[in-house]
Amino acid sequence: MQDKTRRSTSTALSRRGFLKGSAATLFVPIVAGKLSAQPRADDPDVLKVGLVGCGGRGTGAAAQALSAENGTVVLTAVGDAFEKQTEHCLQNLAKHLGEPGAGRIQVDPEHRFFGFDAFQKVIDSGVDVVLLATPPYFRPEHLKAAVAAGKHVFCEKPVAVDAPGARSVLEAVEVARAKKLSLVSGFCWRYNVRHRAFYSRVLGGALGKIRAVYSTYNTGPLRTVERQPQWSEMEFQLRNWQHMDWLSGDHITEQAIHSLDKQAWVMGDVPPLRATAVGGRQARFGEGTGNIFDHFGVTFDYADGVRAFHMCRQIANCTNDNNDWIYGEKGNGTVLGWSNVHEITGENAWEYEGEGNDMYQQEHDELFASIRSGRPRNDGRFMTTSTMLAIMARMAAYTGQTISWEQALDSTERLGPKSLEWGPVELAPVPIPGQKEFL
Amino acid sequence: MTASAVCPTASARMRVLLGILIMSLPSVAAASDRRTFQETIAGSTVSFELVQLPEGKLVTPPDPSDPPDPVDAAREHPIGPIWMSATEVTWDAYDLFVFGLDQKSAIFSKDDPEALSRPTKPYISADRGFGHAGYPAISVSHRGAEAFCEWLSEKTGHTYRLPTAAEWEYACRAGSNGSWSCGDDEDGLDEIAWYKKNSKRKTHAVGSKQPNAFGLYDMHGNAAEWADGPNGEKSLHGGSYRDPPSDLRCVEKQLDSPALNAGDPQIPKSIWWLVDGPHIGFRVVCEQIPESERSTTEQPPSHKDP
Repeated sequence: MQDKTRRSTSTALSRRGFLKGSAATLFVPIVAGKLSAQPRADDPDVLKVGLVGCGGRGTGAAAQALSAENGTVVLTAVGDAFEKQTEHCLQNLAKHLGEPGAGRIQVDPEHRFFGFDAFQKVIDSGVDVVLLATPPYFRPEHLKAAVAAGKHVFCEKPVAVDAPGARSVLEAVEVARAKKLSLVSGFCWRYNVRHRAFYSRVLGGALGKIRAVYSTYNTGPLRTVERQPQWSEMEFQLRNWQHMDWLSGDHITEQAIHSLDKQAWVMGDVPPLRATAVGGRQARFGEGTGNIFDHFGVTFDYADGVRAFHMCRQIANCTNDNNDWIYGEKGNGTVLGWSNVHEITGENAWEYEGEGNDMYQQEHDELFASIRSGRPRNDGRFMTTSTMLAIMARMAAYTGQTISWEQALDSTERLGPKSLEWGPVELAPVPIPGQKEFL
Repeated sequence: MTASAVCPTASARMRVLLGILIMSLPSVAAASDRRTFQETIAGSTVSFELVQLPEGKLVTPPDPSDPPDPVDAAREHPIGPIWMSATEVTWDAYDLFVFGLDQKSAIFSKDDPEALSRPTKPYISADRGFGHAGYPAISVSHRGAEAFCEWLSEKTGHTYRLPTAAEWEYACRAGSNGSWSCGDDEDGLDEIAWYKKNSKRKTHAVGSKQPNAFGLYDMHGNAAEWADGPNGEKSLHGGSYRDPPSDLRCVEKQLDSPALNAGDPQIPKSIWWLVDGPHIGFRVVCEQIPESERSTTEQPPSHKDP
């Protein structure tokens, strides 16, 4: 696979690099002529993609991968815990892509894998790029296997649910770097042009020295799925994975982490010194809602007395917001997440007025461009730091203790069952601050 | 008295608009016998006001910058005496539909999720934190708005649907031949519309600005509203809280587009909710309210702000 990618780099790749230039649109019709025929998976110019995790997000990521180039990316393998999910994924993908895009789905029945080891089968099926989009519990193992096999990776957020997982990811990130593999993160706001314009100004000093950051991710609850009599407990928990601590890492790790990732962005991806947090489970009812909290409030202490505050909630019928406020010595910055407002007030007042972009597509455009150019992109460090911010906050809320960055990173607590089997799974009790031990 | 007059306030403005109305419409209800109907959604405390539009026709003025429209060459649209909700549909009503607070309804099947005609829980917080009770339902897809009409018809026994684009524009004009219901001077908008200049980047409680001459609130601004255009075209009208005056004009429309849900990271994407539609809502029309249920009321439009 390495050989093939290098070969691509020297042939098609210069073409891709060319197309990515400013004159790209002028040349598209010429190339489109060449590529209008159905791409062949054995064409050396074609990059083969395998999808691990066939839910809505994985299917979305596959669609974006197949749209990243003008017909030179094909899907050749899919894997999921559930067989039915692989079928749904391929059907939905074909429907979404329409003609001729659906011709890029080239997954024969032998390359539809299911079960807990499906990821390894996808990785070993001869693909060039792996898309990792399962619930986050599985991510460290999947990422490790993918880079060990020399695959380029699109890695959805978050990348782990506990510190041992995050440490494993950090190792895999360095393996990817050493092997010159591209590793693009699903922290999608980093690929949003409005956000990039805003944060590049903030990082460029538009607000002067940053004093504080405040972010919110207050939403309603997510969907739960009713238990079916034929399901094992493992299947029931997987079907409701967002609500199980070990599968999602709790909602601060699974959803609100976008706010923490933006906080990290402002702070130059330098970790905080410590976190103190409150949280609880006030309004989650029904067994599908698992054992996670429904609200958190966190203070992160950074060096030089800088503080970041974060609040998140998943409770119905409450005031919702998803905003970021940055307070600096020369002005303030505001991102209103649900209404596309990006604004700086003060000495360097500014507001984003331009067009937006499809950030999910941008992730894959840049992933494939980096593979083709032979200049691998590696988002590994920031994606792990951002994930650890959420894990650290959760640890602080669950235990009621102030947790330092070092403590969090060195934690030995592993969430989830000892082994993955289709049978009973013991779900940890809802933690009680002050009683839950920090491990 | 011309359509380009600056919109004055209160009763003076009413006279101006009614003047235009009478000149441009063959049969027009005067404000003194405006017909309204209070529709109550059974099994709930939610109700909303319908206003009967005076019968007339919309004559679309030819726009030299538009290419000729072969389908719609006549540019004359007779509008029947239909009823239209005085305000945009609010969360109070839409929540009843979304969260299934009316389980007796027969059109929904719990056994077959594919057959569900009710929105799934939104990926995003659909109200965007702008406000909920009394605020327009937003982030709603055309399908979501349509499904609400089906549900509402079932609940009330009256036939509800989305307005046609022609009905919407006729209702928006309320007799005005100007760019907006207040004429051609955009300074008049502040009294009647939440838009870029005054909205503080959010929607506001419905009916908190002055209504137009038909008694309809927020036709300009607040939430852009779904309508059905010719040939199955799904269009948004009236502009929204985030638009400048030019996008609020009676004739303006924006077509449905995948871009309105580009931000949904999942495939299949939600057919009910628009991640990139914080500005998108709707109002409903009702074809007929039986005479026996009606009471004609003398009710000049009033300012609803407390």
